[in-house]
Amino acid sequence: MSRPGTFALKKWVRSPAWMVAFIVGAGITLVALVANAWLGSLDPGNAWGITYGSAAAFFMLAAALYGVRRRLLAVRVGASQKWLLFHVYGGALFMLLVFAHTEFRLPSGGLNLWLWWLSLIVTVSGFIGIFLQRWIPRTLNSALETEVVYERIPELVKEISGRAEELAENCPPAVREHYLNQVRPNIQRPQRRLGYFFDITGGVRGRARDVAVLSRVLSRDDREKLDELERLYRTKLEMDAQYSLQTALRTWLFAHVPVSIALVVVVALHVYVVIKY
Amino acid sequence: MKNAMKDTDQLKLDQYRDRWSSLGEMSGLVALSEQPSVAKLKEIDLFDDYDNKMLEKLSPDISLATWEPGTVLFEEGAYIDVAFYVVKGSVDIYLQGRRSPSAAAAPIFDQNRTMMIQTADLDLEKKPAPKPEKKKPTPQNTIFLSTMDFNLPAEDAVRLGSGDVFGEIGAMSGWPQSATAKTVTKCLLVQIRLPALRKMRQKSKAFKNKVDAIYRERSLLPQLRVTPLLTGCDDAFIESLAGKVDLVSCDPDQVIGAEGEPCDGLYIVRSGFVKLTQKVGEGELVVSYLPKGGTLGAAELLLEAGGSWIYTAASMENSELIRISESDLRDLMAKYPAARSRLWQAAVDLVKEAGGSRRDVSQSEFLESALEKGLLQGNSILVIDLDVCTRCDDCVRGCAQTHGGTPRFLREGDKYKGFLITRACNHCNDPVCLVGCPTGAIRRAAVGEVVEIVPDLCIGCRTCARNCPYDSIVMNDTGMKWPDSAAVPEAKRGTPQVLATKCDLCYTDPAGPACVRSCPQGCAVRVGGVDEFRKVVARET
Repeated sequence: MSRPGTFALKKWVRSPAWMVAFIVGAGITLVALVANAWLGSLDPGNAWGITYGSAAAFFMLAAALYGVRRRLLAVRVGASQKWLLFHVYGGALFMLLVFAHTEFRLPSGGLNLWLWWLSLIVTVSGFIGIFLQRWIPRTLNSALETEVVYERIPELVKEISGRAEELAENCPPAVREHYLNQVRPNIQRPQRRLGYFFDITGGVRGRARDVAVLSRVLSRDDREKLDELERLYRTKLEMDAQYSLQTALRTWLFAHVPVSIALVVVVALHVYVVIKY
Repeated sequence: MKNAMKDTDQLKLDQYRDRWSSLGEMSGLVALSEQPSVAKLKEIDLFDDYDNKMLEKLSPDISLATWEPGTVLFEEGAYIDVAFYVVKGSVDIYLQGRRSPSAAAAPIFDQNRTMMIQTADLDLEKKPAPKPEKKKPTPQNTIFLSTMDFNLPAEDAVRLGSGDVFGEIGAMSGWPQSATAKTVTKCLLVQIRLPALRKMRQKSKAFKNKVDAIYRERSLLPQLRVTPLLTGCDDAFIESLAGKVDLVSCDPDQVIGAEGEPCDGLYIVRSGFVKLTQKVGEGELVVSYLPKGGTLGAAELLLEAGGSWIYTAASMENSELIRISESDLRDLMAKYPAARSRLWQAAVDLVKEAGGSRRDVSQSEFLESALEKGLLQGNSILVIDLDVCTRCDDCVRGCAQTHGGTPRFLREGDKYKGFLITRACNHCNDPVCLVGCPTGAIRRAAVGEVVEIVPDLCIGCRTCARNCPYDSIVMNDTGMKWPDSAAVPEAKRGTPQVLATKCDLCYTDPAGPACVRSCPQGCAVRVGGVDEFRKVVARET
């Protein structure tokens, strides 16, 4: 676990070799662009432009295959990690080639314009995904004690809630009141909160603060009950933090995948139109 | 590999005919008297040393069984928690050749222990194993494994008769049996389960001496011959030493030597783990641990005659140790300077490690955590770097897709320094899950340390799941029902078929475990033990 607040490059760039390969690929593209501008004109319809377009289509399709690979994990076609690295770096190269193909400006024509915007949305959402995939795991790991499988959160929260309810029934009135007013409304179901994105521990600490005051006026036995109640509550709040951030890790795909599928369809249409007409 | 397994399966089929047989009448069992009465136990000379009260305590873990001639009691490689005492009849103990010494020692892990099987190993399936040449029994061609219960010459058998004990070393130490036991005549055997065996050893010096004498006779000498400390010592010296060493059995948490007290000899760990702690301030720090083969007391005795313990050494579990007295140790060092150097080296390494743990408390914390979480036992532990893991669960999905839709682990477990130590099977050095399986369904897969469950043999009794201290075995409802067949006990017929399931390391797949292969972030790794895990933690933090 990296120290909170430090920037660990190796956690962000997991494979320097792939990064170098991407830089080389991007360098070749830029050199080709300079040569293209020097020797002729930037035009999607000439040999240079068609080459950029074909290369972009190749990278897009190859990168899109990662989605298929994820559904066929038992098939021996190389490690998933390599597929993802190609998806990321190949996807980035795809956008560069699209820019080269469109002369670094908005294309004309409805279909071409759609294609350009879809490419941009897919790439930008992809970059957002990479950012989330690098940032969220580190944030979750930096301060939370609980590690939980996303799908099990509702079931576990229900269990915690049941145990807390049972415990509260045997607590003195002061603790029970605290439970009814402060804890119960927040413990019954998983809750997503934006605050966890800004301070992963803040929400947990803040909500459990009142307990310390109450603890001072209780007998030893009752304090133990309160401590147990607080432990359950903290666990639940940590689950909320997990739930909030893990939801983001999942939902960004809804911005990326459907647009990617649309992009594949529109590219196919674009290729058909170019070849046919 | 596969050929060897086929032999075993055939043998099992011949003997049992079906998976329920060990619980039924087809296994060669003529009569079984469980929890025999005190009066019945008193008729057997084995129990002469025990009073009625003790016999009452022992009775629940003892049975009297009469077996048909030709019954295989246990096979080579089997893990049993039972020792046998022959009351009547004779039993042959022999090597069936399932595991050659080289195969038993063959490593299946690569340097990083992330790839579980070598292509060369798979090729073995296609090639028939060369037939071993018949040799005269000599110390050179005696088959010896560290797990050996019997010091058997290759392709030879030992016949045991009335008054003999066998199987006790494997039962006591959790080692696999290295020979097969088969009844020659109709036999009446006392079958003693591990708890009773331990109580009997504690209570009766005569019984302990008998068991120790058997160990000395069958296993100790060859074990000492291959102990690194004694490499280069001549046979006569080792033989004389074998007669003089003490065999020490420790209960969990039993202190072997307390810091500051006089050290009474050099200890070699035969089985189990020993934890070393040192006083720091008002408390104690775990500074090191000793696995099987580790030595204890070297630094104490080398620095000064009759030195004091530098550490407090306590057994983590039921451990077996060999104690060499100080005078014997001095004889050894005087005669063999190389042994002296090796001891110094071991002592220096231990002192260095202890010093490191005292200087850096996190190292001590790591050791303590490793001891608690069973990392010391593991041969292949699935750990996930939570700084990188996107919680996509592709590791679990990959596992499920490889194993017919049912995952063999969940992405849950203990956290240590930002790493998740999952509850996927660790493929332990001493797999307690194998002990007591009534059908032998859970077993070493004959590929390194891989432990697998054969579904066709599993009867869903949950013994392995209950035995596993790390919750790595789960009971899975197959969605099918037990067939309405005469081979299945009546009570089970038509009920849901719930079988034990666990990670098998995808050992038949040269591409390695699906969990590691399926992780898109490359953050799921298999580590081969505590030292490797320590390196991974150091690299990533």
